[in-house]
Amino acid sequence: MADYEETKINQEAHLLLDQPLLRLPYELLRKNLRNARFQADKDATFVKNLLKETATGSLNAKTSPEDVVKNLDVMITRMRGLKRKLSACADEEDRLYRHLEARVAHLSELSTMHTVEDVKYEAWSRKRLDRLMVDYLLRHGYNASATALAEDRGIQELVDIDTFVAMSNIRNSLLNGSFTEALAWCTDNKKALREMKSKLEFMLRCQQFIEMMRTDSPARMNEAIAHAKRFIIPFNDTYQSEVSQVAALLAYRPDTTMEPYASWYSPKRWALLADIFTEAHNQLLGLPTFPLLHIALSSGLSALKTPACHSTHGPSSSQPFPNFTGISANLCPICSTELNELARGIPYAQHSRSYVDSDLLMLPNGRVYGKARLQEYASKAGLGEDQVKDLVTSEIFPTDKLRRVYIT
Amino acid sequence: MEKPTAMESIQAEMADVVKMPRISTSLAHVDGIIQLLSEAKEKIAATLDPHTASLTMTKLQNPAKVAFDTIIGDDFKKATAAHKKLGKALDKHFPPKPLPSEHDAMANHQDQINRAIAMHFLREGQFNVASTFIDEAQEMKARNSRYSASSVSDSYSLDSSEAMDEDQPEEASPTMTATSAGQHTSEMEGLSSLQSQELQNKFSEMYNILQELRARNLLPAIEWARVNAAELEARGSNLEFELIKYQYIWLFKGPAVNGLPDDENNGQAAALRYARNNFGRFQARHLRELDRLAGAMAYAPNIPDSPYRQDFAIENAFSTVATSFTREFCSLLGLSAESPLYIAATAGTLALPQLVKYIAKTRSRGTEWTSANELPFETPLPRRMMYHSIFVCPVLKGQTTETNPPVILPCGHVLAQETLHNLLKGQRFKCPYCPSEAQMKDTRLIIL
Repeated sequence: MADYEETKINQEAHLLLDQPLLRLPYELLRKNLRNARFQADKDATFVKNLLKETATGSLNAKTSPEDVVKNLDVMITRMRGLKRKLSACADEEDRLYRHLEARVAHLSELSTMHTVEDVKYEAWSRKRLDRLMVDYLLRHGYNASATALAEDRGIQELVDIDTFVAMSNIRNSLLNGSFTEALAWCTDNKKALREMKSKLEFMLRCQQFIEMMRTDSPARMNEAIAHAKRFIIPFNDTYQSEVSQVAALLAYRPDTTMEPYASWYSPKRWALLADIFTEAHNQLLGLPTFPLLHIALSSGLSALKTPACHSTHGPSSSQPFPNFTGISANLCPICSTELNELARGIPYAQHSRSYVDSDLLMLPNGRVYGKARLQEYASKAGLGEDQVKDLVTSEIFPTDKLRRVYIT
Repeated sequence: MEKPTAMESIQAEMADVVKMPRISTSLAHVDGIIQLLSEAKEKIAATLDPHTASLTMTKLQNPAKVAFDTIIGDDFKKATAAHKKLGKALDKHFPPKPLPSEHDAMANHQDQINRAIAMHFLREGQFNVASTFIDEAQEMKARNSRYSASSVSDSYSLDSSEAMDEDQPEEASPTMTATSAGQHTSEMEGLSSLQSQELQNKFSEMYNILQELRARNLLPAIEWARVNAAELEARGSNLEFELIKYQYIWLFKGPAVNGLPDDENNGQAAALRYARNNFGRFQARHLRELDRLAGAMAYAPNIPDSPYRQDFAIENAFSTVATSFTREFCSLLGLSAESPLYIAATAGTLALPQLVKYIAKTRSRGTEWTSANELPFETPLPRRMMYHSIFVCPVLKGQTTETNPPVILPCGHVLAQETLHNLLKGQRFKCPYCPSEAQMKDTRLIIL
């Protein structure tokens, strides 16, 4: 098959977009274990210390047996708490392993296919599109749609609904003017955020300060100053100019029109915070900065696009029509209304070889078609053998007015 | 035996990893500590004797320490080992490769993508998913317009790393709000056109007909083709005739094959009646074929051995006719037969390796691949993903475009218009491919 090179599946290169499919659960596994370990360390230290203290106190007769029992109760409660937390981590780990197994199995299916013409490939590729769409929907916060699609297709284990729903909850809380959830997330991921040099916590602390300033009451002002000393000044080395701007806010009322202070007071900052959070979140979990579907589409639209797709006169080859020489019988996806506007601004594919129907003939109106197409269309239109009909304009011409076209 | 693919190797590793100890092993040890503590507590509480208390507490220290050490030093270590094994397998067989991350050509087109996705759901027959999505997208837009800046989140997060370094978000936001406002109108049009139900009804009609075709009932498709006969004919489509022809054959085959009730509306007599009522309109255009179909009657008892066996072998007819039905239905709506989103995403993954390679090579130069007219690299696709003629001028080595169209010379050779201008000497030029000479006035533009 001449087409072999173009249809062969390059196993490794074909899975470029699928990296996060395995990377994300892997990162979550590690994060989950770190969390389990952190909880266990904390509770173990507490219980061990209390155990030691109680034993010593009991030995020295400083702690009465009643108090020993009380302390033991405290320890038991603490351990039960730890068990609850570890059970949750264990469940999460099991879930992530299940996801990983399902995903590896799904990706491995591709190994049994060698070309994109394989009948199994279409089903696989459709499943991939479903995954990409769920990813897109989740990233834009269309959580109900993402869930509905995943359920409809039975691909819950191949998509990361929980992760993104948790993310969009925090994002929405920011958009609604609450930083509690985002700050809690910062605390949970303190170390990783510091390693990434994320600005998120600093920005949240600034916003906290601004909200205190906004109330314009002297008591809150003092509180704001205390807050700034504790949470903002420590960032002075890293974000010097912002710190001084924020400090200067003390001299400006919330309704100031003076820049940059007016911007700091602007309610639009919440949207900015939401975006900074999203970015930190995605970076932390190794997720691409924009939806995978965007990557697939911009690459795919370009690869499919030809100069003809947005031409004004309607190319002759745009007419969907069964034919014998190769050019697809279907309407071009770029010309189809769904994608036409979307593809307008992007480059068209590069070709180094002409690709046309065989036996090209030119009609008197300048339009060129393959002989076989013209013949079939003429016979479907009920014309005799001495006439042809233009596939686009429907004009009818006698065959002796046709001219051969040579494409070198 | 073929070498296992990377993913098969990961699958093999994975099979081992899932059998390794997990966090759950620590739960038994936590239980053990709870039990130790509870037993000690009961013992002490039973007597409340100081001596028993201190003795029990002293004796408790060591086993408790051992149990804690097991959890932290042992259980978690083993769980970590499983993760490490998995991580190693991923790094070895599926090493991270950078994806295009600097420029998102799709960033400002959320509404158009939303629309394409909604239409994809509709054409796939996922009507519930589609309506969930259309509702949710509308709702979110209403909500987003309240936080004016948030609807630009995408365009922001795109280059937010730079913006953060420079820290000029407040300068950036006014321009962004402007773009988002401009987008808003098209956004509204985009999805509300889908909400109008019209398209949804169309696709649901298509789905019902396809389902009937799958169940080997041609009648709803025939009815649709009859209603749209004029448009189908203008497209040169024979769908109605094909359908009617198959219905004739289907009836002809009788109850043993078609499973329809064995009455006067089935079998050869019914087929003949059907032919008389329906073939008339097609007589002019499909005379020869109709002759054959009628002629077959003479061989009725033994079609498989007759010259007509080809015409009557319609095992694959239902799926073929379903495909052409879908194609005609969609193209009357101005849509391609296969989901463009599916084709584009598939083509995208096929072309992506070239894009990634190109970006890696040009990263240092900071070239933006999306800004040119033509991709700076080739992205070969399978033939069935080529929908238009491509003409590459053999002299210019580039594709012709609307501003540089193909031109035919009197000798029949085709060149790009620019090439012709370059070849021109006075009013005349010589064809680079044959000895003939011509004048500019003898050439003409062609439309491929």
